[in-house]
Amino acid sequence: MNDRFPLDAGGRGTVASSKRDWVPGNLDLRDTWFPVAYSADVGDRPLRRIIHAQDVYLWRDGARAYAAEFRPDRLEALRHAASAFTGGAGVYPVLERYGYIWAWYGNPDHAHEELVPNIPFLPREGRAIPRYTQRAVRFDAASPLSVENLIDLTHADFLHANSIGDGQCESDVVEVHSTSETVTRIRNVTQKSVAPVMRWIGGVRAKYQDLRAVLHVHLRNNVCVSYPRFTPGYAIPNVQPFVPVGRHRSRVDQTNYSVHAPAPFRWLIPRISYVIQPQDNSVLRPQNARYFEPTARRDLSSRFDGPGNRYRLLMTRLAERQRQGDYSYGTDADPGADISAVLGMLD
Amino acid sequence: MGVAGRGSAREDYRPDRALIGMVPGGARVDTGRWWTVALAEAVQGDKALAVACEGERLALFRNDAGEVFALEDRCPHRRVPLSPGVVKAGGLQCPYHGWTFDGASGRCTDIPNLRRDERVPARYGAIAYPAAESHGFIHVWRGSGAPATRLPGAGYRAVGREYTGSAVANIEFGQYLDVMLDGPESLLAFAGVQITDFFLGDPRRDGAHLVLDRGAVWRGRGIAPAFVRDHPLLLRTRVPLDGGDIRVELMSAEETPLATVLIAASENRRGTTSLCWRGFLHADCVAHASWRWRIARAAGRPPFEVFSRIDGAAIASLEVAPSRERRAATSRPRSDCAGGQQEPNAA
Repeated sequence: MNDRFPLDAGGRGTVASSKRDWVPGNLDLRDTWFPVAYSADVGDRPLRRIIHAQDVYLWRDGARAYAAEFRPDRLEALRHAASAFTGGAGVYPVLERYGYIWAWYGNPDHAHEELVPNIPFLPREGRAIPRYTQRAVRFDAASPLSVENLIDLTHADFLHANSIGDGQCESDVVEVHSTSETVTRIRNVTQKSVAPVMRWIGGVRAKYQDLRAVLHVHLRNNVCVSYPRFTPGYAIPNVQPFVPVGRHRSRVDQTNYSVHAPAPFRWLIPRISYVIQPQDNSVLRPQNARYFEPTARRDLSSRFDGPGNRYRLLMTRLAERQRQGDYSYGTDADPGADISAVLGMLD
Repeated sequence: MGVAGRGSAREDYRPDRALIGMVPGGARVDTGRWWTVALAEAVQGDKALAVACEGERLALFRNDAGEVFALEDRCPHRRVPLSPGVVKAGGLQCPYHGWTFDGASGRCTDIPNLRRDERVPARYGAIAYPAAESHGFIHVWRGSGAPATRLPGAGYRAVGREYTGSAVANIEFGQYLDVMLDGPESLLAFAGVQITDFFLGDPRRDGAHLVLDRGAVWRGRGIAPAFVRDHPLLLRTRVPLDGGDIRVELMSAEETPLATVLIAASENRRGTTSLCWRGFLHADCVAHASWRWRIARAAGRPPFEVFSRIDGAAIASLEVAPSRERRAATSRPRSDCAGGQQEPNAA
């Protein structure tokens, strides 16, 4: 049996030059469900996905989905080489929910259904989710760096200046809440200029609108559940699960659940990632490489980096706890609990 | 920081700007040197130029007054490259979050969205390197200690039309210098001229350079070069023992210069070498030239070519000969080869 699991849990490879140095690519958090593929993408032919450089082959036998360390035709022959991630069986715990196939990454004895993150705006069974809401994008950076980019709001005025409004508003207030397993960033913007795409294609003819955007980040699996609601306008809830392919790459099977927005805006908005992703990737790609260069210089921060720095701190703490051998979920953590109120869906 | 104006004939560097914050925490030990990193005309407008020097990436830019500056190509906030940023009144603005850095001191002059009563901490800054300009080149001082007053390439005086370029060559920096002594025909060519492998004597020391002459012949004229009684041309290569300024001159047998090329080399990443060069024809070159040379000059074709793609087979087959002197000299303490620098007289 592959002994990688017990030997290097909680962080791999190059260590940070100091305890306070942040090396996002080295964070390898265990005992969590990863949404590795859209359910609709998995059929009889095996599909290869990767979590933290660990192969995950997906296929169906009839309606039932399987996830294994090896291709199905080699599974029997290679089962003896199976790792601790599958308990030596070669097959990962797997389930389907919200239009995704979720594979367990960690000790299979700890895989419990209630640890799948709750996504209150998506149909649990997933079959009713239209395919136009699903777009896969890739980032040339470790997942935590991509998540930090999503949490960070101040880069939009520079990196996305031409694609996301002009940044002008009456007030813009950001709050951060956290547990040992999640970070929640709430942004309240009043009287912001309506983005041209929402005005002319989305049918919001007003000049200004309010925005309440809640981003709920699960630390272990980088599942980012987002609920931005525009008034006047509508909500464009979305899920961005940053699956860590390895230390330098991540994959995101997004669901932009725009079904309640008017056509043709609802078909257009999931495709906005084709514009945004290259802009983000232009900084993430060189940024990721530089976080592997040993340095005694800590990143400088302003108060606008509060949410991102909270995320860094919590991720570091969780990794440290796992390094000590503690993979349990704290008493303040319940990934499967209903987060409708947290996202502001009930307001 | 004193910076010679564009096109200025100033050959030395006279600081009139404070160099505070230049190398944070760096010991004031005189181990620095000037590197020529770019053509002056390549740095203009509100864009920065990304260059590499001693294997590290730098961002060069000018202010409104035309002064040139060099910063590390790394934002100290989130480590993204600064060079894709925009030049503002306060310095170079990072493309990710808009932090702006003063070119002379490296100090962070602006973090967007700060309130009027908030100040950027004085210790916030990027590493700035003294930069200077002379004879169409940009030079950067790397290392600690006060910048030397004498700039590389002093003595280079172009007459008439200049031929310029820049490239990254697929050869390691030290090897580039060695091959310039052992087989310069692998690194550059003069139109209509065959550079022979017969060097005249051994390299002679001239200040901080090794100088070597080798025979050359006009192509298509007379017998094979091995049987030429006296070479009608000389190629003089002047290779630095410290730094990267290489001077190549094509001369008549009477040592009348026909063409002069100044090649600035510096270590780039992954075993490559950054090059930029300027060269010109001397006024009386036509009197000694072959008919091919004259026709090519009349047609306005460049008189020389500096290669960026080096023939691996050609340099692998070169015997290590005069470069032994360079290796021997540079393995001695640096003080032995740094003093008494003398440049050839102006052409």
